[in-house]
Amino acid sequence: MDMTVLLKRVPDLVEDLEVDDSGKALDEDSVSLKLNEFDDHALEEALLLKEGGGGTVTVIALDGEDVDKMLYTALAKGADRALKVMGGDPDGGNQALAGIFVAALDGHGGDLILTGVQAADDRDGQLAPRVGALLGRPCIEVVTEVNPGDGKVTVHKELAGGVVAEYEVDLPAVLGIQAARQTPRYAPVSRVRQIQESATIDTVTSAATEGAGFTVVAMTPPETGEGAQMLDGVDELVKVLDAKGVI
Amino acid sequence: MLSSAERVAFILLVLVCSALAFKGFARMVKIVRRGRAAQRSDNLICRFAEAFIDIALQRPIFKARPVASFFHALIFFGFSFYVLVNVNDLLEAFVDGWSTIGGGPIASLFNLASDLLSMAVLVGMVFFLIRRFVVKPKVLTFNPSVKLHPAVAAGGLRKDSLIVGIFILMHVGSRWLGTALHLAENGHSDPWLPTASAASHLFAGLSPAALDTGVHVCWWLAMGLIVLFLPYFPRSKHLHLMVAPVNLALDRRSPRGLMDAVSDVASPGAKTLTDLPWPQLLDSYACIMCNRCQEACPAHTSGTPLSPAALEINKRYTLTDHAAELASGASAPNLLDAATSVDAVWSCTTCYACVRVCPVGNEPMMDLLNIRRDLMMDGAAPDELAEVLRSLDEKGNSFGDSPRKRARWSKPLDFKIKNANKEPCEFLWYVGDFASYNPDCQEVSRTVARILTAAGIDFGILYEKERSAGNDVRRTGEEGLFESLAEQNAAALEACEFERIFTTDPHTFNALKNEYGPYGERYQSIEHYSTLLLELLENGSLKVGKRLGGRATYHDPCYLGRYNGGFDAPRRVIEACGVELLEMPRNRENSFCCGAGGGRIWMKDHDDMTERPSENRIREALELGAIDSFVVACPKDLTMYRDAVKTSGNEGKIVVKDIADFVAEAMELG
Repeated sequence: MDMTVLLKRVPDLVEDLEVDDSGKALDEDSVSLKLNEFDDHALEEALLLKEGGGGTVTVIALDGEDVDKMLYTALAKGADRALKVMGGDPDGGNQALAGIFVAALDGHGGDLILTGVQAADDRDGQLAPRVGALLGRPCIEVVTEVNPGDGKVTVHKELAGGVVAEYEVDLPAVLGIQAARQTPRYAPVSRVRQIQESATIDTVTSAATEGAGFTVVAMTPPETGEGAQMLDGVDELVKVLDAKGVI
Repeated sequence: MLSSAERVAFILLVLVCSALAFKGFARMVKIVRRGRAAQRSDNLICRFAEAFIDIALQRPIFKARPVASFFHALIFFGFSFYVLVNVNDLLEAFVDGWSTIGGGPIASLFNLASDLLSMAVLVGMVFFLIRRFVVKPKVLTFNPSVKLHPAVAAGGLRKDSLIVGIFILMHVGSRWLGTALHLAENGHSDPWLPTASAASHLFAGLSPAALDTGVHVCWWLAMGLIVLFLPYFPRSKHLHLMVAPVNLALDRRSPRGLMDAVSDVASPGAKTLTDLPWPQLLDSYACIMCNRCQEACPAHTSGTPLSPAALEINKRYTLTDHAAELASGASAPNLLDAATSVDAVWSCTTCYACVRVCPVGNEPMMDLLNIRRDLMMDGAAPDELAEVLRSLDEKGNSFGDSPRKRARWSKPLDFKIKNANKEPCEFLWYVGDFASYNPDCQEVSRTVARILTAAGIDFGILYEKERSAGNDVRRTGEEGLFESLAEQNAAALEACEFERIFTTDPHTFNALKNEYGPYGERYQSIEHYSTLLLELLENGSLKVGKRLGGRATYHDPCYLGRYNGGFDAPRRVIEACGVELLEMPRNRENSFCCGAGGGRIWMKDHDDMTERPSENRIREALELGAIDSFVVACPKDLTMYRDAVKTSGNEGKIVVKDIADFVAEAMELG
C-alpha cells in the first residue's frame, strides 16, 4: 500500500505567544514552529502499516524554516520519500492548504493519504475531508487504528464517551488520524544526520487553487479571569449564594 | 619420594591436563580478541608493575567489605606462597632425598611460612564456605526480576564455589596433613612447623607403612588435584586469580567521565557480545562473582532488574557455553538475550559505583552504555525518554520549555545578570537545565547570583543561547544528540569573551571538563561552583560574618565526586559557614547515587522498585541521629531529595539545602 502523509508545522505552545501590531496574527518573533503532533501520529500509523504489510510512505510538507529537518527526521523514521512544496501560503487555512497539497500531489497520493485530525492552529479538522473532497475519495476522521485489507482498510474511529466505531473504507481514501497505535517513534539524531547526507528532498511548486474562504478579523489572547474562590463547606456556599441574592 | 611409576603417572597427568587447559585458555584469548578495539596496551611494564603492587597490597579488594577482604587476604597470601610450596613439593617428589625438614635457616623459615600460611588459607576458606553455605548473606542473591543464565539460576555459582572451596581445602589441607604425617614418620616435632607438629601427635600410633602410604596419598591429593584442576580453571570463577591481575593492569586510563568515542557510526553500540570492546569481554573472565558491584548499585538496591554482577556472570556463562563456536568465529548471542534485559539497561543511573568498587577492574556500566547506544540507534528508547530527547533536540532543554524562558529565573533579582553573548565578563556561569527551569533550583540559582554579586564578581550567563550540556543525553546512548548539543553550546561559548567558566551543575561540569575536548580546550578548565565559593571564602571576597551552627550531612553528587574527585570543596564551604558536618556511612568515593543520573530522572520508576535510591539515602542520613540539614551541591539532587523527604514521610525531620544556601545565610544576605 502506497501512502502519503501530509505534515504541517504549528506554533509551539510552550512559547508566550503574542499578537502582532496588526491585531490579526501572531507576532512572528514570539513563535517557534514544531511538527503538529497529530501529524506525527499520522506518520507513525503509516510507518506501522508499511512495516506490517509493505508499501511506501511519502511525506509532504510546505516549505518553511526548519522544514528540511522535519522531513529528514521523517525519512530517518522510515519514510521512503520526502516532498517539499514551494510557493504555497501556509497561512491560508485548511481550505487553501488542501488545495495546495492536492495540486502538489498531482493525482499521486497513492492508496491512502493520512494526516493529523486537527492541529493546534486550526482545530477545525477540515484538512482531511477537504483533501478527500478535492480528490473525490472517501474520508474518515478521528481515526485511532488502521488495518489493511484487500483493496480496502478497516479503521477505528473514536466517538464520544470512549465508543469506537469500526469502518471499512475502499481505497484510495483519506484518513484524519487522532492517534497512532503506538507513541510516535524517536528518530536518533545520528540517524537523521546520516539521512541528511545520503537522502534528498524532492521539491514541487504548487500555489493555492482554493481561496482561504475566510479572513481573520481580530486575534486576542484569552482574557484572564478573576480567579476562583475556594469555599469551606456548604455553610459558606449558602452564605455566598445568599449574598449574591440567588437564594 | 615418589616411586618411578608414580612419577610417570604424574608426568602423564600433567601433560593431559595441561593440554586440556591450554585449549580452554587459547579459546578464551581468541574470544576476547573478537571484541572491538580499545587502547589499553600503552606502558605495559608500568601497567603490570602498578597492578602487581596494588594486588600485593590487596588494595582493590579492601575498597569494600573489610571482613571478607581480610579473609581473602589470608587466602591470597597463602596461595601466593604456595607457588613456592608446590615447587618444593615437586622437588621432594622427583629429587631423592630433597626435604626442607630439619634443614638450614632458609628451609626452616620456609617451613614456618608454609605452616602458618596453610592455616591462614584453611581458616580463610572455611570462613568463605560458612559464609556462602551457612550464613547465606543476602548480598549473594539477586533481585527476583534479574535476568540470569539458566545455569546460574539453577545454582551454578554455588556449585562452582563449592568445587573451588573443596579444591582449596583439599589442596592445602592435604599438603599440611602430609607434612604432619611426615613428621610422625620421622618421630619428631619441628618447632618451625608448629601446627603440623601438633597434628603429627595424632598419628603417633600408626605403623611406618601406614604413615608412608598416608604421605603418598596426601602428596597426590595436594599436587595431583592442582593438576586435575587446571582444565577446570577456564570454566571456573577461580580463574580470577589469573585474569584479574591482567584485567587490572589493562584498566581504563582515560578520565572516568569520558565515554568511549563511537568507533562505528553505522552501528555505534553493542548488539551482540562481540560488539563490546575487548576489555569488556575480558571483564567477564576476571569476574569473581562477589556481587560487590550489585551491592553498590542503586538500581539493584532499589529492587529493579539490574544487577551489574549478573550481567558479568551471564556474559561469562554464555561465553563458556559457546566457547568453541565463538573461538572459531561464529556470530555471538545478543546481549539482550544472553546477558541482561531491556529494563535492566534503562535502570542504570550511570553512577559509576559498580566500576569503582569492583576488585578485579570490571566495568559493567560500560556494557549497559554500549547497549543503550545500540537501542537508541534503533530508536528503541522508552516513550517518556524519547519525549525528553525530542524536546532536548528541538528546544535544548529537558523540560520541553521555551529556550527563550531559560534565564527567566533571574527576573526577580534586583539586578540584571550580564548577557555574556553581548559583553565580556570575567566569569561565565553555565547554569544548566535544572538550575534554569526547575522552580526549587531557580531559587538556589538566584542565591548563587546574589552571593557572587555581593562578592563583586563580574559574571555573565548565556541566556537563551545556553542548551543542555548533554552529559546525560550521551549516557542514554543518544550520541548524535549529544554531539548536536555540544556543537551548539561550543558555538555559543566561542562567541563569548570570558576568563573563567564555572557551573552549578555537576553533570554539566563533567561534560565540559571531560567530553567537550573535541569542541575546544578551554572547557576542560570548567570549575564547579563549590570550588569557586571556597576560593572566594578563602581569599576574603565572601565575608561570612555569622557562624550558623547546626549539624548537617553532605551528599556527594556522582558526577562531581566519584567521577571527578570533587570531594573536599563542598565540605569545606559547609564548615566555613560554621556548620558541623557529619558523614553518612556511604560517602565520598562510596557515595550512594540519588537515582537521577544517566537520564533516569526523565524516566518512570520501574514497577519492581521497592524503595527509591533517594529515599534510601534520606533514611541513611536520618540514621545519623540529630541532624538538621541534608546538603547537596547539585540541582538534580535538590529536587530528588526534597521529593524523597516528602515521599518517605520525613517532612519536618530534615531540610534539604544547597551549599549556597549556607553561604548566603552566613553572609546574612537578605
